[in-house]
Amino acid sequence: MLRFIVGRVVGLAPVLCAAIVATFIATRLLPGDPVAVMLSDHSADVQMAARLRAEYGLDKPLPEQFVRYIGDILTGDFGLSFRYVHMPVWQVLKDSLLISPLLALAALALALPVGALAGVQAAAHRNRFQDTAIIVVLVAGLSLPNFAIATFLVYLISVKLNLLPVAGWGTFRQAILPVVILAIPSAAYIARLTRTFMLEVMQQDFVRTARAKGLTNRLVIYRHAFRNTLVPLITSAGIIFGGLLSNTVVVETIFNIPGLGRLAIDSIFARDYPVAMAVVMLFVVFFALINLIVDTLYALVDPRVRDGAPA
Amino acid sequence: MTAIDVSVAPPPSRPRFWRVFLRQRSAVIGGAIVLIVAIVALLSPWLAPHPYDATDLVNVWAPPDSVNWLGTDKLGRDILSRLIVGARTSLVVALSVLAITFLFGVTLGMVAGYFGGRVEAAIMRTADVTLAFPEVVFAILIAAMLGPGVSTIIIALALVWWPGVARLARSLVIVQKEELYVDAAILAGASPWHILRVHLLPNIVAPLIVRASVGVGFIIMAEATLSFLGLGVQEPTPSWGGMIRDGLPALRTDPMLACAGSAVLGVTIIGFNLLGDGLRDALDPRLHRS
Amino acid sequence: MLALAAALSGGAGFVLSPAMAKTFRVNVVADPAQMDPITYSEIVAGRILRNMYEGFTVITDDGRNVPALAEKWEPLTTGPGFRFHLRKGVKFHSGRPFTARDVKYTYEALLKPGGKGGLNATYLNIIVGAKELKDGQATELAGVKIVDDYTIELSFTKPDVLFPIYPIYYMDSGIVAELGADWMTKASAGTGPYKFKQWRRGVSVDLDANTSYWGGAPKIDGVSFMIVPNADTALSQYDAGELDFVDVYAAAVRRVLRDERYAKELIRVPRAQSTYLGMNQNLYAPFKDKRVREAISLSIDRNAMIRGLYGGAAFPLNGVVTPGMPGFNPNLPELKFDPERAKKLMAEAGYPGGKGLPPVDISSTEAFKDEITYYANQFNRVLGMPVNVKTVERATFIRAMNAGEVAFFPWGWTADYTDAAYYLSQMWYGPSPYNRPRWKNAEYDKLIDEALTVADDDKRYALYHKAEKVLLDDWGMAPVPMTASVALRKPNVKNVTLTPFGFSLFSKIEID
Repeated sequence: MLRFIVGRVVGLAPVLCAAIVATFIATRLLPGDPVAVMLSDHSADVQMAARLRAEYGLDKPLPEQFVRYIGDILTGDFGLSFRYVHMPVWQVLKDSLLISPLLALAALALALPVGALAGVQAAAHRNRFQDTAIIVVLVAGLSLPNFAIATFLVYLISVKLNLLPVAGWGTFRQAILPVVILAIPSAAYIARLTRTFMLEVMQQDFVRTARAKGLTNRLVIYRHAFRNTLVPLITSAGIIFGGLLSNTVVVETIFNIPGLGRLAIDSIFARDYPVAMAVVMLFVVFFALINLIVDTLYALVDPRVRDGAPA
Repeated sequence: MTAIDVSVAPPPSRPRFWRVFLRQRSAVIGGAIVLIVAIVALLSPWLAPHPYDATDLVNVWAPPDSVNWLGTDKLGRDILSRLIVGARTSLVVALSVLAITFLFGVTLGMVAGYFGGRVEAAIMRTADVTLAFPEVVFAILIAAMLGPGVSTIIIALALVWWPGVARLARSLVIVQKEELYVDAAILAGASPWHILRVHLLPNIVAPLIVRASVGVGFIIMAEATLSFLGLGVQEPTPSWGGMIRDGLPALRTDPMLACAGSAVLGVTIIGFNLLGDGLRDALDPRLHRS
Repeated sequence: MLALAAALSGGAGFVLSPAMAKTFRVNVVADPAQMDPITYSEIVAGRILRNMYEGFTVITDDGRNVPALAEKWEPLTTGPGFRFHLRKGVKFHSGRPFTARDVKYTYEALLKPGGKGGLNATYLNIIVGAKELKDGQATELAGVKIVDDYTIELSFTKPDVLFPIYPIYYMDSGIVAELGADWMTKASAGTGPYKFKQWRRGVSVDLDANTSYWGGAPKIDGVSFMIVPNADTALSQYDAGELDFVDVYAAAVRRVLRDERYAKELIRVPRAQSTYLGMNQNLYAPFKDKRVREAISLSIDRNAMIRGLYGGAAFPLNGVVTPGMPGFNPNLPELKFDPERAKKLMAEAGYPGGKGLPPVDISSTEAFKDEITYYANQFNRVLGMPVNVKTVERATFIRAMNAGEVAFFPWGWTADYTDAAYYLSQMWYGPSPYNRPRWKNAEYDKLIDEALTVADDDKRYALYHKAEKVLLDDWGMAPVPMTASVALRKPNVKNVTLTPFGFSLFSKIEID
């Protein structure tokens, strides 16, 4: 088991290295000069532009900038932010660091049971009214962009009914709407997966046997069929969590939550390369970690994965 | 990308496909929606009642009336006409992204799966690195890099999507190449390219179609999301995502733009997703009721 | 879900802020880049710093400059420059007194190499010895002479009558010794009515009242600048009572103006931003013809823009200088929408119905998307001009404009101090890099040069008016409507408003 985990961690290294190079190249290729952003409307001040450029090492050739960047990563502070004057990137990040993963985790915790239950219900009533109704609701949840859902819910719940705060971050009540909106597409996705898995499992021999033995429908579905869909569900949790993390970008923008997602957008628009690169790297690391955990869980459940080729 | 996609089987015979497909009400509804959207997109220049870019500042945010059936936007442009032309934008983006991702993704995936070894490692590690990035963040990074515009969105989304398709194609080929008909073709002296194209491709096309039909919905949504975040297509070209973005601030006073945009976008994606589900069920015989 | 709630409230830096009794809460669009009076150079930081730091003069709510840290000043008799008499009894937030030493320290901090002088450093370039200090050839600023604790003399390399009103914030020279180089994360070093409390990134910047403020202690306990990037969110927070005063961003203006229940809380003022449509004659040949430039101006339906595009939240601008700005000319004729005359002029210029006009991009940033979309459609409809819309990333665009590389664009220039010279000497003056359409006129430049040496306001304004007329008569650009700043204020909040230059000073705010 340990060997499996070590192997996976070692396997991550090239991905991370490639990601470092890719983010570096991508951010440097962004049109727009960070110094011009710093100076904004006054960017014709040549003297000051030159001074800022030198201060941030932007006057150096790209390979040298890259080496410097690697150095900044190794020292752990990721260099200086371009937007927040004289502030190390780490300082900018640290308040936001846990917010996005927490949002995603909370949404996953909400989406998993709700989605699984809906999926099982749909499968149990295949092609009957319940099935069609659930499918349409699910597909709608999956189809409507979350910025549209968010606007309608905020309008209804926060503005019209005044039940929850409109935006912000800091209290539990402020976290409810973002988490729910984040969870909707994932719940729908999980439900759909569950339905498909269930339908597949229910065709298999052991379920037929159970049925033939005269077990009640409910027992067959939950005890036998659903249990067997758990494994694929757990593995997809990684993908779902990744999607949730991605979507925090949109939700944090709408709800004004100072998380990594909003920081990613803000820093890309502000051409704050060091922050943008660090945030993207953090996303990659979160992604990798969650996949590692999922794979480990999967390997625990299914020995074939451990021994065979990596999934 | 998910376990379900890997389920492979020879495609069912044509009559059975239709029988199964048509039995699913939701799939038929989805198909109908897709058909309507496609026709509207195709005929948009003739269907739009007004020029989509004609501004009229005296008549901004007009409520629906007999001239502007869905009212006008903040520059006084006809919302209905922009929705109709916007269908074309959405579909052009979606189909271009699909075409690119499938051309590259399927080819690379099949090559990786068939040849294995270093070729496979090179292709799949590249895919892994791409997949290691969160989709939205990655797309934003690319879109910001290239500047706003239709081609930007297409490139950004294609770059995000191809690895998933490549993985699917690879896993499908790995299963298929164990089949006897492949051995037979090799013995008959067929070139690898010939085998991939003539023998393997037809046998993996069903799950790819399913993937594509589900993908369209996601791509349309992704385009809307990029537009919503301000990286969308250039004015005056209408895009549903951009229309929603423009409409949201006015939701309280003039809800028509955001609502009509969201509704059309939502229904279209629902249509593609329902169609995709239906195709999946109809093309995968293991899910058939005996 | 319960365990989750615990995790949520425990882990992510949740700060439970008890509602303070009398805190004035107002929104700003983004985090400030820094809270440092030396390095700051953007609007958000400026809005916040303004309440903690002061200059020689301060802009009143009605746009006048009145003495603040300097009580009076007179020109030097020995050459260009001023002698300033500083206000006595002023204390920094640290408790240390404000003296001439701090003035000199501030200038040197702004100028010294390796220092982080922001945009305001440029105002100091005329002080004798500024260049030497910047280049590292001197350690002190030669042109500053401390006469005594409350008198300081500045010698200039050339006359500058506007120096006393330049926005420079004087800081405590003892702060670095007390708190270290990163003092600005812990405290403020100003003399203003509020002092720094904390900056919660992405959430708020909070200030406490300075009870020993020389102008009288504020009547409230503090100010919170809530960081709210989204227009709708800000408004919803105001509705929910989470903000006392909301700066309404452009995206929500229409909604606010149309909503009856906001009518009594509404504040609407023209922005001190000179807006224009730039036409670069070097880049698009037809613009070389004055008739084409006039035709462009004539085909803009400004009233429709004000009513339709801006939903009433805009004011006409008939020249360069905005109303409320000292030096504004109220007698300029109204700019007309006359498509017939525009078509005639185009025909005379050799482009009947737009025939023979090469295609041109009208470009700007995302913020001007609606404007350029309208212009493109309008010029195409009225003049037959083939115009494409192009939005460009902001920094790229500003740089291209400064380099004179943009042919056709709407833009606005926001004033940082209250004198028409801010517009006239920067936007249209020949040698200025901010003369973005690269319009050039020797007569105009001469008038501006002359005006900047005239200390008498009315005489100077007369020269401004002349120069402005030269520009307008040549159709060097087309003035376009300027947008209004719109804000909402809760009925229980008094003595705070919006001015053309941003928020009014918060020193007299009362909350019932």
